Amino acid sequence: MNVDDRLRRLLGGLDAGPGFEARVMERVAGLAAAAPREDLRAQFERRRALLRRRLLREAWMSSITILGLGACGGALLWRYASEIQQFATNSGQSVDPNLLIGGTAAVVGAALWFLIRRARG
Amino acid sequence: MPADDAIIALIQAGRVGEAFERLMPAYRRRVFGLAYSLLRDRGAAEDVAQEVFVKLWQVLPRYDGRAQLSTWIYAITRNTSISAMRKRRRPLSLSDPLVFEEAESRGASPSAEPSDGALWREVDALPDKQRQAVTLYYQEERTVEEVAAMMGLPVNTVKTHLHRARASLAAALAAAGREVA
Repeated sequence: MNVDDRLRRLLGGLDAGPGFEARVMERVAGLAAAAPREDLRAQFERRRALLRRRLLREAWMSSITILGLGACGGALLWRYASEIQQFATNSGQSVDPNLLIGGTAAVVGAALWFLIRRARG
Repeated sequence: MPADDAIIALIQAGRVGEAFERLMPAYRRRVFGLAYSLLRDRGAAEDVAQEVFVKLWQVLPRYDGRAQLSTWIYAITRNTSISAMRKRRRPLSLSDPLVFEEAESRGASPSAEPSDGALWREVDALPDKQRQAVTLYYQEERTVEEVAAMMGLPVNTVKTHLHRARASLAAALAAAGREVA
């Protein structure tokens, strides 16, 4: 028998032992059973990260809105300062001071109530 | 390879479980043979082959078809085998007891021929690449091209390794035969 034939005979039967595929499938089944738990954890982490990003974005938007409104208010005050001053002086002379204080307190109270409700809700 | 096409089609259709069920019988002997040719130990090769298939099950959904399926699997097998070799402390030997006993029991050798055990020892004594080429080539009547793909070497290099290995083995067996006679 030549070398080729002898090597073929010697090495031709080289294979994994019996039950090899069953053992692999058993390990794979174990991993597959653990996988859904991993999926749930990953899903939870992903949702938490998304929520964190959304809250951060909203906080930035709120800050920008407040700054914008403040800037607009400041500009209006700057632009109409003399008219406002004149209106306040005239109002002080023509309207009852108690009514003016009461009205101002009511407006401030309503604004505070709105802000508090918004913060809680 | 037609079996590969079917497996790839299943992966692309998202039927990874079915793809894996087809892949394992198609690649079992090749993965085991490649691990064995590197580790020279049946038990260690089987452990590595198991590890390779578990890895494949995990990464199969991410196979993007850029490399050939077989090339990809051989690369995973080589890397896993090399990692296993680094972890092992004891010296490597193709003549692990199980294989040696199997060869000896098979080898009711003709009077003037050395036993299969002697042939195992000669194969074991070959330089690494020659031994690997011989093991892979004769394990399943593979083509030189396929052995080259499995080893990650050029075809001509594998041809040279095979040629030299055959010449060494023929000379060693002839010498042993003369001793037996």
